[in-house]
Amino acid sequence: MKRFALTTTLVILAVLLLTACGSGTEPQAEGTKMILRAGTGDSGEGLEPHQQIIAAFEDENPDILVQLEAVAGRDYYTRLLTQIAAKDAPDIMQIGDDAVPMFVDKGAFLPLDDYIDGDYPLDTSIYLPGVLEPGQWEGKQWLLPKDFTPLGVYYNKIIFDVYGVDYPTDGWTWQDMLETAQALTKDTDGDGKTDIWGIQLTANWTTGFEYWVAAAGGSLISEDGTEFVGYMDSPQTIEAVQFFADLYNTYKVAPPPADFSLWAGGNAEFDNGQAAMRLFGRWPQASYLENPSIELGVVGVPVGDTRANILFWGGFGIFEGTKHPEAAWRFLSYYTGEEGSQVWKDWAIPPVASVADEAGLTTDPIEGVWINELNYLVPRAYVFTPYWNETADPALRKALETVLIEPEANITEVMQTAAQEAQTALEEKLAE
Amino acid sequence: MTLTGRAKALRRARRSTSLARREALTFYLLISPWLIGLLLFVLGPMVASLVVSFTRWDLLSPATFIGLQNYEKMLTRDPLFWQSLKVTAIYTCVYVPMELAGGLVLALLLNQRLRFEGVFRTIYYLPSVLPGVAFVVLWIWILHPDVGLLNTLLSYVGIQGPRWLADPGWALPALLMMSLWGLGRSMVIYLASLQGIPRHLYEAASIDGANSWQSFWKITIPLLTPTIFFNLVLSIISTFQTFTSAYVATDGGPLDSTLFYVLYLFRQAFQYFNMGYASALAWVLFLIILALTLLIVRSSGRWVFYEGERR
Repeated sequence: MKRFALTTTLVILAVLLLTACGSGTEPQAEGTKMILRAGTGDSGEGLEPHQQIIAAFEDENPDILVQLEAVAGRDYYTRLLTQIAAKDAPDIMQIGDDAVPMFVDKGAFLPLDDYIDGDYPLDTSIYLPGVLEPGQWEGKQWLLPKDFTPLGVYYNKIIFDVYGVDYPTDGWTWQDMLETAQALTKDTDGDGKTDIWGIQLTANWTTGFEYWVAAAGGSLISEDGTEFVGYMDSPQTIEAVQFFADLYNTYKVAPPPADFSLWAGGNAEFDNGQAAMRLFGRWPQASYLENPSIELGVVGVPVGDTRANILFWGGFGIFEGTKHPEAAWRFLSYYTGEEGSQVWKDWAIPPVASVADEAGLTTDPIEGVWINELNYLVPRAYVFTPYWNETADPALRKALETVLIEPEANITEVMQTAAQEAQTALEEKLAE
Repeated sequence: MTLTGRAKALRRARRSTSLARREALTFYLLISPWLIGLLLFVLGPMVASLVVSFTRWDLLSPATFIGLQNYEKMLTRDPLFWQSLKVTAIYTCVYVPMELAGGLVLALLLNQRLRFEGVFRTIYYLPSVLPGVAFVVLWIWILHPDVGLLNTLLSYVGIQGPRWLADPGWALPALLMMSLWGLGRSMVIYLASLQGIPRHLYEAASIDGANSWQSFWKITIPLLTPTIFFNLVLSIISTFQTFTSAYVATDGGPLDSTLFYVLYLFRQAFQYFNMGYASALAWVLFLIILALTLLIVRSSGRWVFYEGERR
């Protein structure tokens, strides 16, 4: 009896161990169908367009089944990297703009150029301006666009109407923005505290800050990707930081940051009808359209010394180790081509220009603004170095926090320190 | 001893060794789930991470062996390593005594016979079982500088509250305050141990004329020292591993004022994918915690008393 119990325990253990170690994700062919895995970092409602496109694709391509693998949150890239290292990644993978150089450098994706001109060709001239570039690296196309947004300025017409201020118009300048914001910053109950703010800005959000630098005619890094000194502390960058900080500290038209973490709540003044404008991407637009304290308008970002905007972008590429490259390409070109855009147009701005046109988005008073902004895109700093995130990003973040927290700080010195820190970190990485 | 006697003794001895061996086998079999788990999921990865800490590795490209370079960089030219160590050490030095004393005070209060004591105990313990992220998000709202509960309450008594998470001077204290909500964990352990102190000791002391203050210092505290010791070790280990609150509420900022050690390690590993460097960081943390724990264990002979122990 005792021996029996022991044997049973051993067997159960062995089974548990073996099943735990076995690989469970090997796709099984179902009948004659080929199974493709598609990985996405989207979640919740964001999965719906994926599922609709997949369903439509499977209808038209009865030989292929697509399994959507959604991993939400910040763990997504870690999971992808471990899957890639284990040669067990999804056949099609979605990643964001600034991860493109890293993933491509590590050999995670197949170059798409041969497929674009191959048996199932894709006309790349169908896309809106600027949405193909983030998927390129070192002269090749590795990913195709899924969704994207430039920056824009939301404004709440209710507040503008109450104070009789004219709505901002396309091509407005930094000076116009300052004057509008000043006209709309109000202490309504006379207690010495501001109740309505002119414009809600993005505090220490480094990526968003690249717009200000670009609009001041500057850049944060040299084009060969080796110099931060002379760029992060250039007169143009300093001008941008100065103006940005002045909006908070001197003109006091921007509500002080509620926190400095992207993951905490952030400021809610615009959402609550307590800020007349907000500079941000298209992400919260749907909720603003439903928000009863907001009557929404959107205008392009204001023009500084030059007109510039930056793009936030997610795209799909094909896993380098896929066993079904051709099927993966058929799905990818469907997804990111005209058919996929037909579904996307109900959720976001579709990447295919003609689809956006036909749906009336290009002339839409709100969506048209986002599309028009695509004409003024400048490349973001990550394009010039794969080490942006760990070298300049922490330095820039600290600099922005410094000028916002200590209004008396000498901005030139702050930026020189930041440039130096970033440079030291970069040289360390380049020497590896 | 006769020859047969010796043979008998030998046989008996052999039988007992084979019995001992069987017992040992059963023992290992019974603990095997834990043992296998430890080898596969704890010791294995630990050894692997030690090896990785001597390399440069980004998960995808093959690892390059670089000797002690990771450790050298950490100690000689990584200001953020020192900053994160400083933040963590300050936090530990402030939080551990607060948790030890605060948990004890709570436990003493809840050890009184009062109405609804079960309800109170539950209320005080509840925060420690809340999931970490939900807990932190709740506190982010409480600490909101303009519309948060805390600053609103402060404004009623005429105090202009600080900007908490957005102020480098207040962010760490805010996180400390947030963590104090988890006092229930040590409180429960104290409570259990308080109830194990025999009544008759207090009765004897009161017959001898001791007041409650004397009873507390001469009976309660000495008999609680094993629990205090346990809570101290646990508390130090957990504060050195602080992560969630800083990750969600402040992301290490503002100005790196809440850059906890494990948060920095996480950034190196899962945002920059410097697995070698992150492993080296993990090992340094392990050594620090090990050294502190050993120090406490070594000192415990002087201040921890076990009942029934002869002095």
